[in-house]
Amino acid sequence: MNVGVAHSEVNPNTRVMNSRGMWLTYALGVGLLHIVLLSIPFFSVPVAWTLTNVIHNLGMYVFLHAVKGTPFETPDQGKARLLTHWEQLDYGVQFTSSRKFFTISPIILYFLASFYTKYDPTHFILNTASLLTVLIPKMPQLHGVRIFGINK
Amino acid sequence: PEPGGCCCRRPLRANGCVANGEVRNGYVRSSAAAAAAAAGQIHHVTQNGGLYKRPFNEAFEETPMLVAVLTYVGYGVLTLFGYLRDFLRHWRIEKCHHATERKEQQDFVSLYQDFENFYTRNLYMRIRDNWNRPICSVPGARVDIMERQSHDYNWSFKYTGNIIKGVINMGSYNYLGFARNTGSCQEAAAKVLEEYGVGVCSTRQEIGNLDKHEELEKLVASFLGVEAAMAYGMGFATNSMNIPALVGKGCLILSDELNHASLVLGARLSGATIRIFKHNNMQSLEKLLKDAIVYGQPRTRRPWKKILILVEGIYSMEGSIVRLPEVIALKKKYKAYLYLDEAHSIGALGPTGRGVVDYFGLDPQDVDVMMGTFTKSFGASGGYIGGKKELIDYLRTHSHSAVYATSLSPPVVEQIVTSMKCIMGQDGTTLGKECIQQLAENTRYFRRRLKEMGFIIYGNEDSPVVPLMLYMPAKIGAFGREMLKRNIGVVVVGFPATPIIESRARFCLSAAHTKEILDTALKEIDEVGDLLQLKYSRHRLVPLLDRPFDETTYEETE
Repeated sequence: MNVGVAHSEVNPNTRVMNSRGMWLTYALGVGLLHIVLLSIPFFSVPVAWTLTNVIHNLGMYVFLHAVKGTPFETPDQGKARLLTHWEQLDYGVQFTSSRKFFTISPIILYFLASFYTKYDPTHFILNTASLLTVLIPKMPQLHGVRIFGINK
Repeated sequence: PEPGGCCCRRPLRANGCVANGEVRNGYVRSSAAAAAAAAGQIHHVTQNGGLYKRPFNEAFEETPMLVAVLTYVGYGVLTLFGYLRDFLRHWRIEKCHHATERKEQQDFVSLYQDFENFYTRNLYMRIRDNWNRPICSVPGARVDIMERQSHDYNWSFKYTGNIIKGVINMGSYNYLGFARNTGSCQEAAAKVLEEYGVGVCSTRQEIGNLDKHEELEKLVASFLGVEAAMAYGMGFATNSMNIPALVGKGCLILSDELNHASLVLGARLSGATIRIFKHNNMQSLEKLLKDAIVYGQPRTRRPWKKILILVEGIYSMEGSIVRLPEVIALKKKYKAYLYLDEAHSIGALGPTGRGVVDYFGLDPQDVDVMMGTFTKSFGASGGYIGGKKELIDYLRTHSHSAVYATSLSPPVVEQIVTSMKCIMGQDGTTLGKECIQQLAENTRYFRRRLKEMGFIIYGNEDSPVVPLMLYMPAKIGAFGREMLKRNIGVVVVGFPATPIIESRARFCLSAAHTKEILDTALKEIDEVGDLLQLKYSRHRLVPLLDRPFDETTYEETE
């Protein structure tokens, strides 16, 4: 939709997570996912919580840490082509409010999941592993780092 | 109205009506409490210590939260479906229409970055029929559009052969109605065409400097009230080729957030440092100026060679007007230079049509570089720069446009000369003055009616550019198509050209629009607004009541 760009923002992807209502939509989305999983009769409450946690972390990993670049052409000749969305947020400035919010939300989900699964060992291993896949890429030390050439 | 500062205060209206939220149990709240409650609206009525000679009413109502959430859900669903369709196309389950590399080139470095095309293939293509519509008549108040159909979901178009005649044109930048193929401008241009031909076949500095160009430049200088002016063949090129001639490395450019692509390109080409201040926000601009002067250049701390403030007269996507009195006050205080791009405001604002400087009643000598285009209000093409004689003489030798670009074509020059004389009243008729008044009336009427209907409209009350907020991606396509079905042509814009939750339809009013045309358009917009549920405004203006307010009329506020 390049019918005359209306702003001088080089990469709109950097500001999307700061927009009004984005956090609320995200929270509602997670809530909806959880309710859908709870409604399936085969899953007990602990299984539903673990599944919510795992699916949420999987989605977050794919969209924030796996997909690189922007879905539209940017006027800066592709400076962000090799950066994941997390790395593009706020042009790489660390510890902004969006980054804090998206770091804390999987942790909160992890607490809730641990509580509702009554700290069962199998669930614990699954939840912790899934939390780590989502927390480690967010560390500022790993900005732009590609371990073992994954996702280069 | 109280002196000394902008206030987020909503006064009781002069005719005694109240709006939403101001009445409880039939009693009117005092306006201070109402201001505290009216948190969703940013309404600046500035009477800033005498800098403004008239009230400056600009409003940008915030996106309602429910609408924002639904917009994100809309984009989310479209993204998921986009991934699904890409998957199907990759595995050849669905036919692939876009450009891909040949099989022999599979192992080479890829030519196309697939992901950068994601929005274009999956979102833009679905509603592509709202843009690039071919027109086949002069784009006046009504225009003829060639009908086209697509049998493969907008990947390719076929012309049916029909022409949709008499579509009301709400998209052309035809502010004073000079886009005509009859009348005095056309006759004069035709005569000049016979005398001079069409092509100039040279640049200004070589042998392309016609006497017509000199005549035009003198006329533009007298129109603007400046010492000298220079005209160029293309409006975009005026900005992008002249800013590099004015500033270079070691200079600072302070550019508004929402500046046009030509200004941004010119600023980038110049090599100067660019800092961006929030749209029309004078506190942000002042802070940047202070920091620039106190701290100087980034590492060496040397003073900046020049500080240039880039602003536009009317911002075409927001409909807002620059706060020129405050900008000029700041520029004088901090000794910076001002570059004013009046592409949309020349001819369209001001009691005599001289643009935003005239609108605020200021001195044109205060603006260092006055730039504008002939494309919008004069029905021609090209751009100009006006200012002091030394500046224009410098630009005549140093501007890239003067050295490398072909100069304006003679019939176009004649069109500009005739239309400008008409606006100034020098052709002996009052046609110019009537057009300016008609445009101002149309603007005020159209905006008031749309606000009364309950749409969210951005921008200043006096700007002829009216953005109507649509927000959701599906409504962008739906609005454009429904309006064309009802014989009205509009321009719609969405993400990433606008922020993600601010998609809009933009109406450009014209002096050529009669009241009947506007009423027809408003009726259709009303219908489409009800059909698509676009009336988001929570601060509806109550239609004018003649009697003064009394407690028992509270039910009319809803």
